[in-house]
Amino acid sequence: MNRTVLIIGVAITLALLAILFVGLGKDPSAIDSPLIGRPAPPFVLKAVGSGDDVDLQRLRGKPVVVNFWATWCVPCYQEHPVLVENARSIGPQVQFLGVVFNDTEQKIESFLLQHGTSYPTLLDEQGKTAIIYGVGGVPETFFINRKGTIVAKFVGPMTTDILQANVAKAMQ
Amino acid sequence: MIALFFALALLQVRIPDPAQFVGPPKGPALTGPALDQRTYEVASMLRCPVCQGMSVADSPSTVALDMKAQVRELLSRGYTQEQILSYFEQSYGQFVLLKPKFRGVNALVWILPILVLVAGAIVVITTAKKLEKEPATGNHPPATQPEDPYIARVRELMEKE
Repeated sequence: MNRTVLIIGVAITLALLAILFVGLGKDPSAIDSPLIGRPAPPFVLKAVGSGDDVDLQRLRGKPVVVNFWATWCVPCYQEHPVLVENARSIGPQVQFLGVVFNDTEQKIESFLLQHGTSYPTLLDEQGKTAIIYGVGGVPETFFINRKGTIVAKFVGPMTTDILQANVAKAMQ
Repeated sequence: MIALFFALALLQVRIPDPAQFVGPPKGPALTGPALDQRTYEVASMLRCPVCQGMSVADSPSTVALDMKAQVRELLSRGYTQEQILSYFEQSYGQFVLLKPKFRGVNALVWILPILVLVAGAIVVITTAKKLEKEPATGNHPPATQPEDPYIARVRELMEKE
């Protein structure tokens, strides 16, 4: 009896330790998005500066990179040049969109004047688009293919390698 | 009135309409204190995505405030608790639900404590039964075991007296 109890106890402890180690190895902010493989939720948002409406559905047929960010987010400063540079170098075959939430138009314009841009930045007033995309913190970037399906999501500051790998997925 | 209709129509195309994700509202449109109360209750069931184990109702973060405002708006439009939880779950996954659903791996959260409790009860009952039997078969030393010399000496002295 004691031997059986010991074996069961050890088995339970090992199983719990295995779960713990698997959990500790994961980035808690990198939760798989249920949106991957599903159609990108549509939105029509106003572009900062021009005031033009940008309709995601009208971009169907072209891969789209949607980057959620804010001027108060420090990692967003870090990734901004990467996005601007890649949007320039990749050209019009991929549409880059910045979506800013929990921010003011004035601050965004000031940021863009100071740091430059090469693609439209849209204002998500009340953060409703961010909610429908399941955005927790910023920056978060979604990669949408030509059919309008989300193929990848990246949480955190973007690097050129990560960006290009995911753009390649969206272009397939 | 017409201007309001067009303003609302314009507003509806600007943002993704919840009906696209959870269908038309299935409940009564709430207002006043009932709306406040239900907003708090439903927001308490949602996890703040940028906090450590806090609900949307309790978190002061801007993301949680946006989510709470969205809960309030959906309740005021007649969406039910189930529809609202489903709406957020479709965007954030089951992670956003503070009370996990009885489904898939999450079912373990509900089943494991019961299994452990049952296993513990079995171990306790079996051990108790074993202990009940033990006095008969003996904690006493077997008859064949030689007596401790010290006890034998005590016994001898007692007998002399």
